[in-house]
Amino acid sequence: MGLALIPAAFTIVQSFFTVQPLNPPTRFSGFDNFRRLFSTDAVISSIGNTGLYIVIGVVLSTVLAIFMAVTLQKNFFGRSILIAIMVLPWALPGVVEGIVWANIWNSNTGLLNSLLTSAHLIDNYQVFLGQHRLLTILAIEIVQVWQITPLSTLLIMASLQNIPNDLFEAAELDGSSPWATFRRITLPLIRPGITIAMVQALIQTLNVFDQPYILNGSATAGSSLTMQTYFISFQNLDFGEGYALSLLMAVATMVISLGVLKLVYRPVEF
Amino acid sequence: MAPTRKYMKAAGMIAGATCLCLTAAGCSSGGGPASTQTKGVTIKATMAGDPPPKAALDAFTKKTGIKVNWTTVDWDSLQTKISAAATAKTYFADVTDVDWSRVGQLGKLDWFYPMEKYLNTKKMAKDMPQMDSFTLDGHVIGIPEDASFMVTTVNKKLFAKAGIKKMPTTIGDYTKDLKQIKSKGVVKYPLNIPFAAAEGLSTYWYQTTGAFGGTILDGKGRPQFTSPDSAGYKAAQWMISALKNGLVRPGSINVADSEGQQTLMAKGTAATTFSDYSGNVGSLYNIPKSSTVTNQVEYIPTPGATGVAPNLNNPDGVGIPKKAKYPNAAAKFIKWLTSAKKEADFAGANGKDKVQPGYFVPSRLSAMKELTNSGHLDQGKKLSDMLESSTKPVFPQGAPSWYPEFSQAVYTNLHAAATGSKTASAAIKAMSEKAKQLASGS
Repeated sequence: MGLALIPAAFTIVQSFFTVQPLNPPTRFSGFDNFRRLFSTDAVISSIGNTGLYIVIGVVLSTVLAIFMAVTLQKNFFGRSILIAIMVLPWALPGVVEGIVWANIWNSNTGLLNSLLTSAHLIDNYQVFLGQHRLLTILAIEIVQVWQITPLSTLLIMASLQNIPNDLFEAAELDGSSPWATFRRITLPLIRPGITIAMVQALIQTLNVFDQPYILNGSATAGSSLTMQTYFISFQNLDFGEGYALSLLMAVATMVISLGVLKLVYRPVEF
Repeated sequence: MAPTRKYMKAAGMIAGATCLCLTAAGCSSGGGPASTQTKGVTIKATMAGDPPPKAALDAFTKKTGIKVNWTTVDWDSLQTKISAAATAKTYFADVTDVDWSRVGQLGKLDWFYPMEKYLNTKKMAKDMPQMDSFTLDGHVIGIPEDASFMVTTVNKKLFAKAGIKKMPTTIGDYTKDLKQIKSKGVVKYPLNIPFAAAEGLSTYWYQTTGAFGGTILDGKGRPQFTSPDSAGYKAAQWMISALKNGLVRPGSINVADSEGQQTLMAKGTAATTFSDYSGNVGSLYNIPKSSTVTNQVEYIPTPGATGVAPNLNNPDGVGIPKKAKYPNAAAKFIKWLTSAKKEADFAGANGKDKVQPGYFVPSRLSAMKELTNSGHLDQGKKLSDMLESSTKPVFPQGAPSWYPEFSQAVYTNLHAAATGSKTASAAIKAMSEKAKQLASGS
């Protein structure tokens, strides 16, 4: 508890101080760090980018995870192998994934361009990253979704395992279609699992760093709030402002997570 | 369990996870007092490059009684570790990287021992032309470990295919040649500029600015590129125009410096790099495993506004952090590492078994001469001459303490101009305002 609370308290307190080794001494500055954050274009732009990462990442990973969990719930040949393969991206470090996907998105030598050209779908190699903000964020977030979906799938699969089989059998006897069974039985009963999956996806996407940094450098179109925390703290050596941004991100994580809880979570009793 | 309690429990878990995230902010711990001991000690060298051969390190240990534990960390992570350890006032290494661009920052923060306290830096400077890139207010923050500098490379075969026999000596001729190569269909995009938002783009602009006959900042850190007729302004416009006019591959907006050299220049899809790295001909372009243009690429004197322009320094150095456990032993190691004999060995003058992987251009002129005479440095004579006569620091007064923040403004704005999200003039204005703000200390 001390390991968590002491640094947390330290961060909260220091966010109200000017902590700049290049401009000593450390001194109380009230809300100055927060004010400067909101007057920095790069931070404002990163708030928008991070919002897009969250929306795309949470929605896409949750939908994919539900689909994969429902598919993998059935017994079929090679299921265990498929689950083992599915988990692999989750086990890889973000940096490694960034490098792997850089070879796919690359505008000069990338796999995707090569495939699209071979299939005669494009004549010239396309630029996927850096040119358009939304396309850049989508391309980057797909990489993160690839990483976080396995855990979301496992969480939802765990919820699925808890649903008594009698319910599905009864629905089948009553002539319920597979879609109606999914909508009226499966989906409501896996809401606790979906909630946890969404919250973990939210925490991951709000803290996205490796993928945009590897794939898109420090470019404004795509840079995330965590990247700004890094630049402010370790590049500009303005630790007070870095603490302030970390604190705001922590508060945002809590508030949005509570919102997801309120919106999605429903208690389930069998 | 009541739903409210479930919410509370879940909320508590999220709060706990959030607090754990905040531990990354960290606390600090002090290091022990430094020891002057040099015998029977183990020093830690944390560097961005690979270590020298084990036999060489063993020989150093046998001779001095100092054991060296060399750790390799990628350059970016290493810079963060240096900052984090120094801020936390904790031990992290006895010897580590000092990049030229951080000399102002590291010097002002007093995070490194002044090297003149341990070594005869004045004597060393006579053999190390880039020592001034590591000097701030008379103190030497690090000893140059290599003599990397920016240089123009051309693929002579592709130039010849376009009917160009005489190499350009001015930017005007160079641009004309690029257009000729394109119009003759030799290659679609003749020029390699790494437009990814990274340090390599800033460096490219500095070198181009130097070629246009100007500097980036004055002695007080004020921008010298605001006016449209300034060298920096012209250099930025020239780079962006080259992209817009199809001389540079559109996909270059996401290409970092090394990637451009490896995938465009080394594969013959680009004919020239205006701001390349010294040593690339021998270490990349003439290596059949990584290149399809062996024996085609040459260094040429940098084309300038009216004639040959300077080559800007881009070296790495080694220094001793203030929290080092054994600074005297560390200094002995640095003296050995940057001695003429060892630099020549590590760069390959005396056999492959003595080579330090990734080490190409010695920081000492004497080592460079030995290497050139041995014939083991491709086009060594040209590099040697440039090192001796035409290299100069990016910031003659030393890199300002706020350089990293300024550089980020440079590469993000130039990148934005390249992608079209900003005009070239808006990008230059933003870079200039950032420099003014940083120089004024506000």
